Amino acid sequence: MHGKFDDLGRFADPSALILTSLADGPKHGYAIMTDIAAFSGVGMEPGTLYGALSRLERRGWIRPLTADERRRPYEITAVGQQVLAEQLQSMQQIVRTGRQRIATA
Amino acid sequence: MKPALADRLCRALVGCYPHRWKQRYAAEMLDVLDQHRAGPRTVLSLAGGALTTHLDPGYRMEIRPMPRLSKDAKLAVVLSAAVPAALFALVALPAIAQNIRESSWHLSNSGAVGPVAFSRDRRILAGAADGPPWSGTSILWDVTDQALPRRLAAFEGGNPTTISPDGRTVATIAFGGQPILWNVTRPRHPARLAVLSAGLAGGPWGEAFSPSGRLLAAASTSELVLWNVADPARPRLLRTLAAPVQTGNPGNFDLGDGDLVFSPDGRILASASGTDQITLWNVTRPARATRIATLRGPSDYFTALAFSPRANLLAGVTFHGSVLVFRLAGPGHPVRVATRPHLLASARFPGGGRGPADPCNPGCATAAYAIGFTPDGHSLTVVIDRSEAFPSTTDRDTVFTWQVASSGALSDLTTIFRNVSDSQPTLAPGDRIVADGSELGGKVHLWTLP
Repeated sequence: MHGKFDDLGRFADPSALILTSLADGPKHGYAIMTDIAAFSGVGMEPGTLYGALSRLERRGWIRPLTADERRRPYEITAVGQQVLAEQLQSMQQIVRTGRQRIATA
Repeated sequence: MKPALADRLCRALVGCYPHRWKQRYAAEMLDVLDQHRAGPRTVLSLAGGALTTHLDPGYRMEIRPMPRLSKDAKLAVVLSAAVPAALFALVALPAIAQNIRESSWHLSNSGAVGPVAFSRDRRILAGAADGPPWSGTSILWDVTDQALPRRLAAFEGGNPTTISPDGRTVATIAFGGQPILWNVTRPRHPARLAVLSAGLAGGPWGEAFSPSGRLLAAASTSELVLWNVADPARPRLLRTLAAPVQTGNPGNFDLGDGDLVFSPDGRILASASGTDQITLWNVTRPARATRIATLRGPSDYFTALAFSPRANLLAGVTFHGSVLVFRLAGPGHPVRVATRPHLLASARFPGGGRGPADPCNPGCATAAYAIGFTPDGHSLTVVIDRSEAFPSTTDRDTVFTWQVASSGALSDLTTIFRNVSDSQPTLAPGDRIVADGSELGGKVHLWTLP
């Protein structure tokens, strides 16, 4: 199942952060949380994280790798990369427009 | 909200997720919680997550078409479902989580887990994992909530590991062969108290605390040593006794697999370390402990022993699966009152088939045993674990339970079977919880007898 970010509704933000975190390589749950906190300042809690991981996995945007004891790393799929790229493009457009409007205000 | 309370609530809330979700994600989430400092936000996030997941069509057990309702009616339906569900999640589910009666988790990430030990209140479980990178590592778990055990600490203690009755001290045997005492009053930060280097010749294989916790017995291949550990930071050597020496070896029997148990009144110590015999020691005055009797069994090796709660009966199970009960009418005159031979022939393999009476099957997967009386002394339970090959990932526990008369006679045998992935059974105090350590994968499996 592919779809678009819009389909995720209120769950879109955590999903974008997780996909961005996984864009530079596989990570397990706690590593994703610390990475997101480091690059965005967002303190994602475990309930939010695993809700999003479950949805992303069902959509085929990430895939689980073999667990090391209780730690299971996840990696972004090709579809996930494509969806993330589209979302970032859209966000970039918003940023560009916002900056232009602030500059001309 | 205190972090400890938040942590407990979070772990209880993981138990509130749908079953299928827990099978897939609970272990990972508990690992994250082990590393994450829980707070009110974490609790809310998990409560919300559990509720959302229950409403997720992918995890709902049954999906029914929603009748066409007005907006207000829909809101009323959602609220009437959500409010009780939220109350249920906050109040009732933590209590239900306490009652989940089976769990399985990794004591360590690899290697073999030997028999585990419980504190008397069954809140703390100690085990030792043997195998890289955890060779001889002692690991403490909080199993207050059996469904959601929490790892407290791992330390280079040794194998085997036993806990004092009050759960404040752990005794281990280090690789060098010395018994070591650890202060686990703060279980997340075990501290070494003392190395009991004096007085034990030969390779030590087992330890036991007396019921009062003031005495520690350790057995080697040739000696039995008693220490006063009333002050565990300053243990005092009390007595060294010559233990019976094992002769011969039936199959691949691990000569360390004897047993050492105190009677519930703390007056008698029973050691099974010799060929076909149990030695009873009078430890009423430990500094003058003496041998009071030797109980003879069949030409076999006793691998597990248990006293009845009134200390008037002693039961043992042998390497070839025979159960013997002795009545200790007078300490110097024990009498054998019951024998149930060849139970191995009745124990089942994982596939359900009966195995040969030889404990060392093809591939040499030796049988493993646990034995215990119920707290009222009216039942005797023996657990025999058999696997089809060594090493094995599938085992089957066969649990034999007899009614026990005051004379020690056994009757009304009932037998149940349970497939487990682990092969070193231990009966927790109270005799209803079986803990199986595994030969592979560092796992522990807890289950409760019906």
